[in-house]
Amino acid sequence: MDEPLHGSGHTRIRGPQPLAAGLGLVGLGLLGVWAGSDLPQGSMRAMGPGFLPRWLSVGITLCGLALAASGLLRDGQRLPSIALRGPAVVMLAILAFALTIRPVAVGPLTTPGLGLIVAGPLAILLAGYASPEARFRELVILALFLTAGCMLLFGDLLNLPIPIFPAFVLEALSGSVSPRLLLRAVAAGLGLTGLGLLAIGRGTRRRAVDVVPHSITT
Amino acid sequence: MSDLFANLGLGFAVALSLQNLALCFMGCLVGTLIGVLPGVGPIATIAMLLPITFGLDPVGALIMLAGIYYGAQYGGSTTAILVNIPGEATSVVTTLDGHQMARQGRAGIALGIAAIGSFFAGTVATLLIAALGAPLTRLALVFGPAEYFALMVMGLVFAVVLARGSILKAVAMILIGILLASIGTDLETGQDRMTFGFAFLTDGIDFSVLAMGLFGVAEILRNLDQSETRDVVRQRIGRLLPGLTDLRQAAGPVLRGTAIGSILGILPGNGAVLGPFAAYSVEKRLARDPRRFGQGAIEGVAGPESANNAGAQTSFIPLLTLGIPPNAVMALMVGAMTIHGIVPGPGVMTKNPNLFWGMIASMWLGNLMLLVINLPLVGIWVSLLKVPYRLMFPAILMFCAIGIYSINATPTDVMLIGAFGLCGYLLIKFGFEPAPLLLGFVLGRLMEEYLRRALTLSRGDPMVFLERPVSAVLFAVSAVLLVAALMPALRRSRDEVFTEA
Amino acid sequence: MKDATTRTVRSLCLALTATLGLAGHARADAFPQRPITMVVPFAAGGPTDVIARIVAEHMSRSLGQQVVIENVTGAGGTTGITRASQAAPDGYTVMMGHMGTHGAAPALFKGLRYDPAKSFDPIGLAAGTPIVIVARKDFAAPDLKAFIAAVKSGGTSINQAHAGVGSVSHSTGILFDAKTGAKPTLVVYRGTGPALNDLMAGQVDFMTDQIVNVAPQITGGTIKAYAIATPERSTVLPDVPTTKEAGLDDYEVSAWNAVFAPKGLPKEVGAKLEAALGKALEDETTRKRILDLGGTVPGSGERGPAALQRLVESEVARWTPVLRAAADGTP
Repeated sequence: MDEPLHGSGHTRIRGPQPLAAGLGLVGLGLLGVWAGSDLPQGSMRAMGPGFLPRWLSVGITLCGLALAASGLLRDGQRLPSIALRGPAVVMLAILAFALTIRPVAVGPLTTPGLGLIVAGPLAILLAGYASPEARFRELVILALFLTAGCMLLFGDLLNLPIPIFPAFVLEALSGSVSPRLLLRAVAAGLGLTGLGLLAIGRGTRRRAVDVVPHSITT
Repeated sequence: MSDLFANLGLGFAVALSLQNLALCFMGCLVGTLIGVLPGVGPIATIAMLLPITFGLDPVGALIMLAGIYYGAQYGGSTTAILVNIPGEATSVVTTLDGHQMARQGRAGIALGIAAIGSFFAGTVATLLIAALGAPLTRLALVFGPAEYFALMVMGLVFAVVLARGSILKAVAMILIGILLASIGTDLETGQDRMTFGFAFLTDGIDFSVLAMGLFGVAEILRNLDQSETRDVVRQRIGRLLPGLTDLRQAAGPVLRGTAIGSILGILPGNGAVLGPFAAYSVEKRLARDPRRFGQGAIEGVAGPESANNAGAQTSFIPLLTLGIPPNAVMALMVGAMTIHGIVPGPGVMTKNPNLFWGMIASMWLGNLMLLVINLPLVGIWVSLLKVPYRLMFPAILMFCAIGIYSINATPTDVMLIGAFGLCGYLLIKFGFEPAPLLLGFVLGRLMEEYLRRALTLSRGDPMVFLERPVSAVLFAVSAVLLVAALMPALRRSRDEVFTEA
Repeated sequence: MKDATTRTVRSLCLALTATLGLAGHARADAFPQRPITMVVPFAAGGPTDVIARIVAEHMSRSLGQQVVIENVTGAGGTTGITRASQAAPDGYTVMMGHMGTHGAAPALFKGLRYDPAKSFDPIGLAAGTPIVIVARKDFAAPDLKAFIAAVKSGGTSINQAHAGVGSVSHSTGILFDAKTGAKPTLVVYRGTGPALNDLMAGQVDFMTDQIVNVAPQITGGTIKAYAIATPERSTVLPDVPTTKEAGLDDYEVSAWNAVFAPKGLPKEVGAKLEAALGKALEDETTRKRILDLGGTVPGSGERGPAALQRLVESEVARWTPVLRAAADGTP
């Protein structure tokens, strides 16, 4: 992807990559100018909130123009190839985590706050499929172990204010079990389930497919 | 001089008590842990642990909290090296060469040199605080808004120096960084700037969110993309710890990094963030072959890591002697002290000598403990790299999401790391480097504040930057650095033009 | 092997359903059944956060459940208060409001999504931190009267620092200017720390701020204090006269902190929280901690829900005209 197109007589645009990058910067600069256009510029003595954003945006636009010009005048690199699967799936996983960890209002709808115990495995299972090498069982085991570990690490040990369980479960349980005990019990349960799956898998494992050529193992 | 020894003696007597030793160890351990977890910073952790310290005596409590702070600085470089995620502004530069070293199978050496450099820097900085803490505070008062503005401009020049590819692209990245930093409520007027009406933007973008997106998520996307020739650490992992030649190569950078970091750390206006950048730029300028930088040069890890740790230690000086917290973690330490009935400020040294000297002594002990904790851990970290990438990246992603969520408890922050990750991916694809953007972001907010404040105080006269000697000198240095950085680029492009013609 | 794991899984499931079944009966039990979240709308380590932590520690003990502090910062504290005001009014989410969020905010933030006097069930006043008028240490005026005269005659050549729009030093500083008729140039800082640094270095001339922030520098002699804006002198700064003693009648301000709950709290729950707060403030160590910071602890008559409601209403009425006028005066 990085080799320049030397002697590319047949294409008119000599550096498509810098040209595109430059145009992108110009777009961003203009967006900045527009977004900051309602802000007062102020004076030297009392600089307004709009002063710096405006000049920065102008600077970005100029950089973009220079870059685009160099793309037209000088040989540069080809346009990069951009994959779709990875970015799309990873974005989906991140979105799923953000929407389920606690109640979020999206327009008129509010997502249910399901806590780490749902958001975590969901994110891992989804994200795993960003790679073409994904295998469902393996991801389930990973999700079980990681969620259990994160619950203990973030919820119990570091005591961070992150919702672990769905709000309705906590409400239903309030009083009968201390949340910390519940957390430990459930984490243990997840961990054991993971171990169980791992043990089952060892018995029925298919050969060859699971061993990806790996420089460290060779 | 005898005073110094008497004071240090008192300090060690306090710090070496069994309880305080245990607390110091606890702090260092927790600090290392949270430093290694991407996103979870010392601020959230110290805030959460504050109630636990209620039952302890103040000296022990503060020793532990301080341990968390510098332990996190240590741990932060581990993620920067292993998975290219800078946990703190100060470990951004470590990603440049540290992660490259890891890709070449030299992760152990990078981690080892970071630990050793940090230990050395910590030792020197501790001595510096003990010997010169009080007189050094005068330096802090010399720095007014004009001087800080000049310092920040110098920092941006560093960003140009540390750029690897096109200077034009680096400049654009810096400008975008500053622009991103200006999003949110304007400090002076309270007006919303470029928030597009989104409530979650009114307080601006959090550094960790931007860093995690541009570095962490973007790195994952890029690795996924090149599934055949994946760039993660695939080489055979060589020796685990740095050897003699590595140490010899790193000695100079460690010394210089320590000096630079110590001086910048003393400034109460959060000058410590500049330390690693300055150290990196200095090493790159001094190197016989600057092209090695960004390709896994050991100097590019040793210098900034030493500067980082030295700055973390010396930033206790303004806190302990002036009562001015230079950054958010230090502000939290002020809170911790006040809860324990100790009000940090000019009086601490005389009123609570036990606390003051005990803390200083504990810092050195803490650094020693960190070395002991971290060197054996290097093996474990390196072996983590053997986990297949298809399992590693969902785990990294989950840790990032939890860590980011825990900062402000806002799901929008988690979504933002996705958005920035996508941007970062595109930037890499189009040949832009994210590091200058991040530096522009870190310095941008401070720079604008200092600029506007300096101009308010000078009633709009820009000559103030040249009339004040310290600021004038800093501007002159920046100008020289900038010209030196631009010269080769200009010459090269002219050569290119000639060769093409 | 396989059998063993299935059995473990099955018994775990059984255990879980058992606990879920039990839960149904426990709901009617008395408040509190689980940890309570106290939202502090400012950064950890600041004066409000410190007061909240001191009070919450004792409340946790008397309620038998942890009171967890959650710092939600932003927009002069209104981000955290807005979020907390939208929580379920079940007593499990309370907040530490203060003079800014429940007094000055309506005048400063146009799109404020809560009404300090109507959106909350007040629990009680926790503490007050007096405001001190401080100046750089070489400011020539010997006393407050001379200081005010100098600031007035200096006009815009005098620099007054404050810690950002919505901060205590901002609103109390504007009140000071309004009461004395001074027109200094305002220099804005992000937080008290950097402002104090420049005050010590003599870059700016004066500011007004909470005693917690400035007391050590005053006793250390790096800045000087002209007056404390309370009816009585503080034990932390016994040499600093009150504003009234020093000849400024109309300037008594304190950055009070108080506990609020979202509107619609059940009566018994509110009463329990109020009692727990009261107990905390009666406790010797808690009191001493607050007093050592220079704070004041309200007497039992002035801290209940009714008194707090009156305080909020009078504070909104007091700050709105002053801050609006100042905002209109500057371009």
